[in-house]
Amino acid sequence: MPGWPEKRVYIGSHTRRIDAPAKVTGAAKYTSDVQPEGWLYGMILRSKWAKAKITKIDLDKALKLPGIKAAVLAREGERTVRYYGEELAAVAGSTKQACLDALRAIEVEATELPFVVREDEAMGDSAPRVWEDSPNAAAPHVNEKGEVDKAFAECATVVEGSFSTPVQIHHPLETHGNTVSWADDGITCWASTQGITSVAEGLADNLNVPQSRIRVLSEFMGGGFGSKFGPGVEGGLAARLSRQAKAPVKLMLTRFDQSLAVGNRPSSFQKIKLGATADGILRAFELESYGTAGIGAGGSTAGGGGGAGFPAPYIYTVPNIRVKQSSVAVNAGSARAFRAPGHPPASFGMESIMDDLAVKLGMDPVEIRLKNDPSEVRRKEYRLAAERFGWKEKYKTPGSSPGPVKTGVGCAGATWGGGGRGTQAEAQINPDGSIEIRCGTQDLGTGTKTLIALIGADMLGLKPEQILVRIGDTRYPPSGGSGGSTTAASVSPAIHNVCTRALEELQKQTGIADARGENWMAACKKLGLNPLVVHGAWQEGLSSSGAGGVQFAEVEVDTDTGFVKVRKITCVQDGGLIVSQLTAESQVHGGILMGIGYALYEERIMDRQTGFVLNPNFETYKLAGLADAPEIDLVLLDMPERGVIGIGEPVTIPTAGAIANAVANAIGVRVGSLPITPQKVLAALGKDKLTTA
Amino acid sequence: MKPFQYATALSPAGARELAGEDGAYLAGGNDLLALMKEYLVEPRILVNIKSLPGLNRVKPGAKVWTLGAGVTVAELEDHEGVKKVFPGLQQAAAEVGSRQIRNVATLGGNLAQHSRCWYYRHRDILCLKRGGDTCYARHGENKYHSLFTGNTCISPVVSNLSVALTALEATVLVQRGDEQKRMTLKELYARAWDNPTAHNSLEPGDLILAVEIPVRGGSSAYLQASEKSAFDWALVSCAVAGRVKGGTITGARIVLGAVSPMPYEAAAANDSLEGKSLDAETAARAADLVLARAHAQAQNGYKIPIARALIQRSLLQLKAQS
Ligand SMILES: Cc1cc2nc3c(=O)[nH]c(=O)nc-3n(C[C@H](O)[C@H](O)[C@H](O)COP(=O)(O)OP(=O)(O)OC[C@H]3O[C@@H](n4cnc5c(N)ncnc54)[C@H](O)[C@@H]3O)c2cc1C
Ligand code: SF4
Repeated sequence: MPGWPEKRVYIGSHTRRIDAPAKVTGAAKYTSDVQPEGWLYGMILRSKWAKAKITKIDLDKALKLPGIKAAVLAREGERTVRYYGEELAAVAGSTKQACLDALRAIEVEATELPFVVREDEAMGDSAPRVWEDSPNAAAPHVNEKGEVDKAFAECATVVEGSFSTPVQIHHPLETHGNTVSWADDGITCWASTQGITSVAEGLADNLNVPQSRIRVLSEFMGGGFGSKFGPGVEGGLAARLSRQAKAPVKLMLTRFDQSLAVGNRPSSFQKIKLGATADGILRAFELESYGTAGIGAGGSTAGGGGGAGFPAPYIYTVPNIRVKQSSVAVNAGSARAFRAPGHPPASFGMESIMDDLAVKLGMDPVEIRLKNDPSEVRRKEYRLAAERFGWKEKYKTPGSSPGPVKTGVGCAGATWGGGGRGTQAEAQINPDGSIEIRCGTQDLGTGTKTLIALIGADMLGLKPEQILVRIGDTRYPPSGGSGGSTTAASVSPAIHNVCTRALEELQKQTGIADARGENWMAACKKLGLNPLVVHGAWQEGLSSSGAGGVQFAEVEVDTDTGFVKVRKITCVQDGGLIVSQLTAESQVHGGILMGIGYALYEERIMDRQTGFVLNPNFETYKLAGLADAPEIDLVLLDMPERGVIGIGEPVTIPTAGAIANAVANAIGVRVGSLPITPQKVLAALGKDKLTTA
Repeated sequence: MKPFQYATALSPAGARELAGEDGAYLAGGNDLLALMKEYLVEPRILVNIKSLPGLNRVKPGAKVWTLGAGVTVAELEDHEGVKKVFPGLQQAAAEVGSRQIRNVATLGGNLAQHSRCWYYRHRDILCLKRGGDTCYARHGENKYHSLFTGNTCISPVVSNLSVALTALEATVLVQRGDEQKRMTLKELYARAWDNPTAHNSLEPGDLILAVEIPVRGGSSAYLQASEKSAFDWALVSCAVAGRVKGGTITGARIVLGAVSPMPYEAAAANDSLEGKSLDAETAARAADLVLARAHAQAQNGYKIPIARALIQRSLLQLKAQS
């Protein structure tokens, strides 16, 4: 069994990102910065109807405009579009303005069809159908265990509640897009992607070209959160434009496009009933929920791909449960996997009802979790977090904080699988002592490059800056897509393996018993003329899966204005062996900020009259900013014996539930709907009698 | 964006001539360029007014301060004299957008900016304000909309500065044709109150030269409530001004923003405070009078308690400042 080095200099250290200078100076080239010789702008014409039959699209006028070099249809022939923003056609031209003019010159003949964009309306029998041959609401998934009705009857306490979560949009700071060059010798695609290999596969399939002739590059990448795996419709369009124009085409989406067509987190409307014994042991649980994944409801996009279901009763084990969940289609863009798919809504609903139960029983919310949480790791985390947070001193009877600005505290827990396997890597050691590690993974901004350098450095007794890390190229040995918090756990063992084997080979070829550290240069010199190239792969035993975490929140609520301010978040998270401390902490900060956005600000707003997204920009689709950031106290539990586990996703899960509980604790009533806006706080306080929606 | 011409004006008369009836003045460009990119406005010519002499000066005076229309919001935020003499204006300036926006945004542009209603701003929606025949907000998503209006449009005025300046009884100096015209803030927005297609009362070609604020002794304060901690529009804003002596207030002005197409005031509320001791009770009564005619839409009733709280708090802040 291989193991991680006992003596770790760089692994787990606070070493800064190896590409930090490149990023802050702008030397790092992202997909949107790439400018291959002769490149053109690409742009997409999108449906202006929430639903319509498209009978004809005429590209002629657009093609005749000055500067326009190519125009293609997203699909040939008559078709039905099912949401505002669905792709119709694309153009390529030498300036942005030429493309914008061309989009307006394209003539589209369409017949508008009835549509529905609200979940509750779409559920109705008489609602317009999103898909003609199936009802909007898919048959519910049912999961029943034990004797639920009997168990409820025997419970000392039963609580019920309704909870809802909005459609959340990924909005990575770098929008979706590709620069594609289709030349005689093959296709090169610079992609903003979480999976260079899956982009190559997708393009090969879409364009009917052998995958061997497609090269995908993604050295620097500005985030995806689960929405950037394949080439997307935009990738295929860019390639076809490039072929027609005989020039590279850069097609990056705008923020407006980003709000419509490249994924989101499904909404949820949850009715929960929870019963417990007098001393707070959970006995019975019932959930009925629905939500929308846009036009992609039902089986085809279920699970990680973005169906509206979620795990229930989440992290708790309850002997008697009845769960009924359904997805309802609406005329809006499809959901995609989104940072811990299913978990944030699951955690919000379940942790909210747990607190309501605790309040009804007169129990401390941490106590009730310690009694019911089956995970030993998480119970340990609750104790540690409560201690650091000062829970005992801070927790007061709900609503008892004096004055108009009330403080409150709350907590919530999370689980995540993580793990990962399958990565291969290559090391090239040159006679001059330089070393290059190549791996076909990609760095979403999470710090994968740095992680590779830190591991290489410790394995070979070198400094991280001595190791040239090359990633983001399908010509390197393959790795998987970066999703599900699997990258660290999938890549790290492969780097361990390739370094181990390279060292062995170097020692064998040169006869130097230990080529690490100060012997490194001498050993490399002995290689003679040819560099040493060694292949390695993921190995069992260096990584594992299953991460638990808890978060505690302290908030201030202005009961006159409804304004919620998060003062502090304490996070205790288990992540096995932490390879890169700084980038892991960065993940936690980002996860918490995103969780705050989900709790308080973010929501896609659909207009039922037009079927359009009303807030396709950062002015009204509100993201948490620095001024909204609380004090963050974080502890990454060090468990090196478990090997590497990803933590990118679990850290965003419990934030909203903890904040919602803290708000309820502050004001003494529950706001069961995210985002918790001033409007909803005032309504919950009964100060908003005039508001009906 | 439609092709357009570009010119730099060196005098107000020149600016007017260049702009004609279908040109637009370009100040910081924060609003204008965004509108043009969405094809919401299509001016024939952009007339850069940043080089007009004297336009970017803050001129203190014993009786009247003159703020050039080209003064940036950041300059108002940072100006020590403004902070001392018109604290409400300084506070209103400091809450505009982000520092980057304030560095570029000008006083004139802030006053003349268009509606932020998300129907009006949507490239594919033609609402009443843009010449269509429906107010979508009335039947749709209206949580950011008005509690008061004199017409069908319920898009509120969102200029922070307009709210503070109304409380300060400022006048706007406008070049109209060959004349210079003085308009009260109320007059500057009166047309938006009556007419759904108007954002303000400026005629095509009207050029704001300056804002004049009388020095009345007294103090002023501005507070706003938003959804986020910073860089967010006001859900409701409130500016107050008046003279407080020995706890008694005279000349009170209470003005609300983001709840009406024009900065909203109720004379009865102002009058109710005249010569009264300023305390929680009188402040609450004044708030009730301001809000007496509030008419909530389906989703914006929550603005009423917020407005009430802001009125009380800003009056008490005024007292504390005095
Ligand atoms: C993201 C964002 C957030 C914002 N948040 C806020 C906020 O919280 N509070 C707030 O008050 N504002 C806010 N604003 C609006 C911003 O303050 C205004 O857009 C800005 O003040 C406009 O000034 P400008 O100089 O850039 O005007 P421009 O964009 O140059 O002009 C705006 C309009 O005024 C006209 N105009 C300009 N100067 C004159 C003049 N002298 N005479 C006649 N007409 C003139 C122009 O022709 C144009 O129609 C925000 C804007 C953005 C983009
Ligand atoms: S409120 Fe005014 S701007 Fe908004 S939709 Fe109605 S008419 Fe248009």
